[in-house]
Amino acid sequence: MTGIFVALFRGLVGLLPAGFRETWMQEAERDLDRAMAEARHRRGAAAASWVAMRGCWDVAGALPREWWRVLTHRDGNARRVGLGMGERIMNWMRELRLAARTLARRPGYATTAAVTLALGIGATVAIFTVVNAVLLRPLPYPDADRLVAINHHAPALNLPTLNNSAGTLNFYWQEADFFRSLAGFDTQQRNLVGGAQPERVEVVAATPQIFDVLGVQPTLGRPFNEADAVEGAAPVMLLTHASWVTRFGSDPTVLGRTLEVDDITTEVVGVLPEGFAFPDPDAVVMLPLTVDPDGPFGTFGTSAIARLAPGVTLDEARERTTQLQSRLTDFFPDLEQTFLDQAGWNVTVERYQDFMVGDDVASALWVVFGTVGFVFLIACANVANLFLVRAESRQKELAVRAAMGAGYARIAGGFLSEAFLLGVGGGAVGLALAWGGVRLLTTYGPQNIPRLDEVAVDGATLAFAVALALGATLLFGAFPLLRFAGGALAGLLRDGGRANTAGVERHRTRNALVAAQLALALVLLVGSGLMLRSFQRLRAVDPGIDATDVLTVGMSLGEGVENAQAAAFYQQVADEVAALPGVASVGLSTFVPIGGGSSNGGSFYIENEPRDEGALPPVAMYKAVGADYLTAMGQRLLRGRDLTRADWEGGAPVALVNKAFEDKFLGGDAVGKGIKWDSAAAFARVVGVVTDVREINLKDDPGPWAYLPMVVGAWGYPHMDASRLLIKTGHGASVPVEAVRAIVARLNPTVPLTSIRTMDEIMSQEMSGLSFTMVLLGIAAGVALFLGAIGLFGVISYVVSQRTREIGVRVALGARGEDIQSMVFRQSAKVAVAGVTLGLLGAAALTRLMGAVLYGVSATDPLSFLVAPALLVVVAFTATWLPARRASRVDPVVALRAE
Amino acid sequence: MPDSMHPPLKTAWFHILLALADGAQHGFAVRERVEARTDGSVKLWPATLYGSIRDLVAQGAIEALEGEDDPDDDQRRRYYRLTPAGRDLLKAEADRLQALVDAARGSRALAEA
Repeated sequence: MTGIFVALFRGLVGLLPAGFRETWMQEAERDLDRAMAEARHRRGAAAASWVAMRGCWDVAGALPREWWRVLTHRDGNARRVGLGMGERIMNWMRELRLAARTLARRPGYATTAAVTLALGIGATVAIFTVVNAVLLRPLPYPDADRLVAINHHAPALNLPTLNNSAGTLNFYWQEADFFRSLAGFDTQQRNLVGGAQPERVEVVAATPQIFDVLGVQPTLGRPFNEADAVEGAAPVMLLTHASWVTRFGSDPTVLGRTLEVDDITTEVVGVLPEGFAFPDPDAVVMLPLTVDPDGPFGTFGTSAIARLAPGVTLDEARERTTQLQSRLTDFFPDLEQTFLDQAGWNVTVERYQDFMVGDDVASALWVVFGTVGFVFLIACANVANLFLVRAESRQKELAVRAAMGAGYARIAGGFLSEAFLLGVGGGAVGLALAWGGVRLLTTYGPQNIPRLDEVAVDGATLAFAVALALGATLLFGAFPLLRFAGGALAGLLRDGGRANTAGVERHRTRNALVAAQLALALVLLVGSGLMLRSFQRLRAVDPGIDATDVLTVGMSLGEGVENAQAAAFYQQVADEVAALPGVASVGLSTFVPIGGGSSNGGSFYIENEPRDEGALPPVAMYKAVGADYLTAMGQRLLRGRDLTRADWEGGAPVALVNKAFEDKFLGGDAVGKGIKWDSAAAFARVVGVVTDVREINLKDDPGPWAYLPMVVGAWGYPHMDASRLLIKTGHGASVPVEAVRAIVARLNPTVPLTSIRTMDEIMSQEMSGLSFTMVLLGIAAGVALFLGAIGLFGVISYVVSQRTREIGVRVALGARGEDIQSMVFRQSAKVAVAGVTLGLLGAAALTRLMGAVLYGVSATDPLSFLVAPALLVVVAFTATWLPARRASRVDPVVALRAE
Repeated sequence: MPDSMHPPLKTAWFHILLALADGAQHGFAVRERVEARTDGSVKLWPATLYGSIRDLVAQGAIEALEGEDDPDDDQRRRYYRLTPAGRDLLKAEADRLQALVDAARGSRALAEA
């Protein structure tokens, strides 16, 4: 302990001004030693420590006093002996003051450099903030890196990712000892009645293990226990902190109160901690999820999250989960191994955070991050060039300073100080820009980025900004240092400031910088070309419907209502809305193309076509529709007839199928055939064939789909708790949502309206991820091209001005204007060709990383790789044209007289 | 004599001058004497001690002698002694303090106590 204070004492003494320290404080350390020895002798070791501490305190107090003396020059007669730490800091401050004055004399240059840097730093920091919050920062759970998501895939079945079924959950609970705990969960929409208005809210239903998996406990009340999650248990719920605050005004006596969840009286048993947002912030209530211990293997729809057992790595868990799949057939006697093999059955175990963010969003973010990184580098190169120009124009001054004895270190220090000031200024403005940029991104950015609500400028962002600013300082501050290193200063005075023709060498660095800028700009140009082409391709995709003038409104009766009764209610609403003025037709469906909702899928039987044992059964998706669905959506009927009111009113087992369904399963002739899903009670007769519609998303080809009436004979569509109205209006007309709300409220006041959006909004949101990336890349490429052009313009102009005398001589000797121009263009062409070559190589290497964000275009798309360099060359020559013209007009008399 | 050479003196200055009144001393000895004289209630820590010594030297109240060996630890130390101006200064401060003490003794409140 004492040793620390003694060391601190020495350090503090070292910080005192050298004059005082060297002349007066030489005996101070010895004095302290003796004082400590005496204190130890008389009152023990603790007293010695106290003496050392008190000594430190004394010196610390003297520091400002003594430095004040030095700074106010009251200590003029103090001898300067050696440079202490304090001296160095003071020298440096003096150097910074000098640099600030130098910069202030050239405000244009200083502003240009600082603004360029601020733009580069601001853009990079803004995107870093998003990347950090979404991709890097761990989820807000203890040891969040040990949380994994478990999902299954059966590629040959043509189904989207299969998460888990009651069967697989039971299987893992029993067999997978390499998970410490595993929970199943599911987000659902429920009608919540507990206030003035019924509300349709998102709830998360989770098995009781969720608390152990996430490592989270309720702040109030209790977590779920196993008894809550058995069939027939008393209904209980946990409130999120937010819903506790908004619905119950943070009432601490909320435990035991009840809410109606889909007409089931449910008791509040606990409140989740603040900031708990699982699986996303939309879920306002947590319910226990019941998993049937004898549940079947095949009904997927439940997500699984697990925490790795201590000592088990992600790779081990992955490997052992894969190995475990061979035991599935032991666990489920009905399951055939051949079926699994043919379906291409496999399992993925991935970090929960990666699963949550998804590959698409992650790669889009990395691409954008890389893009702004390029802009940052280009900004640095630009400032470096400005810096070099400054350094060259200051040659005379530097030569004089060198001649008067300023060493290399001193001159280098001057440059670094200027760079440092610019870096700090640019960094500060950049941080402000980033702050604004982040707010723009979170407000207008694509909504499909998870955790967007967590994005905020924080400590990591600040650290990153500081690192960028310092990195930039070193990057561009170093160039003039290299330029004047190794005795170059000595030569300065010799040819100092004279425009000589040996300048070619001197321009090499600047040419290289500009070539690098052009190369980086080209990479961005190619990248944004690829994005533009992807966007065009996606725009050109025919979704199979007419999205104009269609408003979608969701409504929900909640669970536990008879199919026929639900269908009658939805259809009644649809009919009354159709009677509103301006409405052309009103369709009904459980699922809106691209917009989501409830759809179903699975293997089905075709009438009179027995399934082969062991062969893959046919698999298709289906959804329920009401009357006038095809008309409202603009989906065309190819053959047969539309569904009629009589079909679902009488419960006739009929269906429509799309072209893909007909071609794939029904031999090109669907009408009249019978199809029946495994869970259905009867075959439904195909009465019509409709065009293919991209139901899930725009990117993927439409798969086989069937469209069923809401009530199909003795069975019906399984999820009739909610339905969507599709209200097609006449062109330009609009339907007041309030009118729809009034109709619903009159028919059933407990039914809430949800997801009120136009089809156009749904479509543009589907494109938003891509268009967001495209716009950002486009802006980045534009800025890069502009900066590159400015850089080239600067270099060529500078070369021309330096070569004025030589050009004058050439003209005097008979060179024509065209000769001079082509000479300048040759100079520019060298730089441009180098930039294009490098840029094409870079683009070829880097655009491959964009694969995941491109659509319908290869990463080596020849058009993008031709147009982008052509554009760059055009810009390069435009940037050369002005200086070239000036060169060709050089008057030899004036040029030579100037010397 | 500069302004700061008039009483009242800074406490540290007064104690240093007083410690040097009986003859030349080095810095640490000054510290020890002051501590002994005041029963430990005034301690001159290094930066304060040498800062004050520097100021007193600059004011001409004391002067530094060339280094001599300290008999206590056989190390070379610099000794300081009062100049005539310093002695005058010490006396002026002592007189001022004396006057203060006399005034206090004469006051009724203290006389009754």
